[in-house]
Amino acid sequence: MHKLWAVIRREFVSRVRTRMFVIGTVLGPLLILFFMVFPLLLERGQQKVSRVVVVDASTGGLGVRVTEALRGATFAGGADSTPRYQVTRLAAPPEYQPVLDSLVALTDARDAGQESLDGVVVVTDNVMTSDTIRYLGSNAGSPSDMRALERTLRQVVINERLVRAGVDPLLLMSTVRPVHLATAKVTKGQLTGSSGEASFLLAYIMAFVLYIALLLYGMQVMSSVVEEKTSRINEVLVSSLKPFELLLGKVLGVGSAGLVQLGIWVGAGLLLTQNRVAIAARLGVPAPDVANLPIPTISIDLVVVFLLFFFVGFFLYAAAYAAVGAMCSTLQETQQSAMPVTLIVAAAFIAAFSLLQDPNGTLARMLSLVPLTAPIIIPVRYSQSPIGMPELLLSFTLTVLGMLAVAWVAGRIYRIGILAHGKRPGMKELMRWVRAG
Amino acid sequence: MPENVVEVQEVTKRFAGHTAVRALSLAVPRGGVFGLLGPNGAGKTTTLRMIVDIIRPDEGRIALFGGSGTGREHAGQIGYLPEERGLYKKMTVVEQLAFLGEIKGLSRRDALTRARQWLERLGLNDWVDHKVEDLSKGMQQKVQFIGTFLHDPELVILDEPFSGLDPVNTQAMKDVVVGLAREGRTVLFSTHIMDQAERMCDRIVIIARGEKVVDGALSDIKADFGRRFLALGFTHHREQAARILADRSLITHVDDYGGTAEAQLAAGVAPDQVLHAMVQAGVGLARFEVVEPSLQSIFIAKVGPEAVTAPALEAGNA
Repeated sequence: MHKLWAVIRREFVSRVRTRMFVIGTVLGPLLILFFMVFPLLLERGQQKVSRVVVVDASTGGLGVRVTEALRGATFAGGADSTPRYQVTRLAAPPEYQPVLDSLVALTDARDAGQESLDGVVVVTDNVMTSDTIRYLGSNAGSPSDMRALERTLRQVVINERLVRAGVDPLLLMSTVRPVHLATAKVTKGQLTGSSGEASFLLAYIMAFVLYIALLLYGMQVMSSVVEEKTSRINEVLVSSLKPFELLLGKVLGVGSAGLVQLGIWVGAGLLLTQNRVAIAARLGVPAPDVANLPIPTISIDLVVVFLLFFFVGFFLYAAAYAAVGAMCSTLQETQQSAMPVTLIVAAAFIAAFSLLQDPNGTLARMLSLVPLTAPIIIPVRYSQSPIGMPELLLSFTLTVLGMLAVAWVAGRIYRIGILAHGKRPGMKELMRWVRAG
Repeated sequence: MPENVVEVQEVTKRFAGHTAVRALSLAVPRGGVFGLLGPNGAGKTTTLRMIVDIIRPDEGRIALFGGSGTGREHAGQIGYLPEERGLYKKMTVVEQLAFLGEIKGLSRRDALTRARQWLERLGLNDWVDHKVEDLSKGMQQKVQFIGTFLHDPELVILDEPFSGLDPVNTQAMKDVVVGLAREGRTVLFSTHIMDQAERMCDRIVIIARGEKVVDGALSDIKADFGRRFLALGFTHHREQAARILADRSLITHVDDYGGTAEAQLAAGVAPDQVLHAMVQAGVGLARFEVVEPSLQSIFIAKVGPEAVTAPALEAGNA
């Protein structure tokens, strides 16, 4: 035990002390923060009041109503939010072209100073029949600006058409209100309090965390094995330790360093999402904008299932990667040799997403019984819809058996591989390693 | 207290395609320096690896300290310096040694204290907290030696310990090894360099092609081999001397070094017969001495010159 502990500690300490680990650990939360804050900053950057002139060549007060609607438009949609436009109405004769020309000359003109405009809206009576309103502006290339403008103008024109047709716009609006589908996830006859959207997000995050962890830390085990081979320290080690002890210590050491890193990432992620309203407020973005992000609720049994399958999956893949490391003599060699293992993890990850559509389908059930894919498939499925205890137990048992089988084979390859130098063994040679007494 | 620290009994080890060790038996008594000699590819490393339980023999058994435990179970009493040796490059010297001590069963604190003492003793105290990769090759080898002795083992097994060391470091390491033996510990080391073995060993075993050819105390081996050797030194008429030395009725074997030579007398030939022939031929002699055979000449006589120059078959496994 004392020796095993020494191996675990050495592996843990030497990993945690590397620059890569420190940078990676700090970079994770920074990346989450960046992805949270960046869209908000973008939005804030766009909260610039546009100076707009309405050239009103219409009759019957359409231009006035357009002007009022533009004045009432705000960024966040609420009445207390920042207005989008600073609007001036300019009554124009039917031949408004000269007026328009003079306004266009002022648009985006720096030397015009206070007189400079962002755009001109041309309102004529044609609007009612031709279905078009002209806008000439410096921000005509911005899709989000144009969508907002179009939304406001469409509303005014529809209202106007209804009024002219003798229909009460309020009555019509109240009858054609859209209907929203409010989703709520039910698990085992109980409301989880989570929306369907949130549970999809949860599945996505879980699959991603599992994928990254299996791949990242599995490969770290592999490079650690190769490092001991290239530095030729193995022979001293295995004269004091059983090769399996060394392998176990290595997997546990790398695994615990990985858990620390993952813990920091997940913890920072949770902390940041929980405080996202406060963070947004600091940046001057109103809360309602950020509050509508779906937040999944995580049940205890999901956490248990996730952790159980994560650990078994980690041991399985770490052992497989260690075996690959033991077969190779240089780090470069491992890149190629690790491909089959990496592909299987990637396949499980991709399969998990296609299965979200039908989490209890035949394919999903089958892949849940394959030890190589179950560690990713089961937690993702479980987050979507409950899995019966018999199926869960069967899957877990098979995964554990699969893990033990992989660990046994890997241990036998490792035992001989760490002392072998030179050419990578072929399939036949590997079989001999596994069989050797 | 058992008589023999290591007992190898009728051990055979086969690898794919060849037999590395064939029915080998040897016994290493407690205390002193025991040399395992042989040409490259003779099976020295395989034998040592079987003793420390890194590989298992196919046949035969190995007993350590008179008991039944394997080499790994006795790891706390054994210090092993393999031929393929290295260190973790990114670890500091002292951390490295502490780890090596810990996996031999020392407590961390104890391992750290001993590591510092040894580093001081071998003049590495300025390098305690440096990373191994910053050290020169010679210093790294010293660290490897310290790692081998750190837990104060009763049995020290060294596989080609002096290969790659410069003469100064070789001397320093030899002093350490001989010192250990003098303190009552047992040193078992392998080498293919006979000079080293001759100066350090109390007992030797010579193996060739996986089989034992010589076994015993160095002094006995030399005595058994007989005082049948001549050490010669020449001043002039070297050619005539060469002709006499080539006469197989007088001399069976010659190690010719030009100005000097070591010659083995044929059976039934007295030394003065050769001297007479030399004087008759007018050879200028600077030295004519009947000597103990050198280990080198015993080795060559027993193993055969072809074995000495034999290519290292699967040197990694041998």
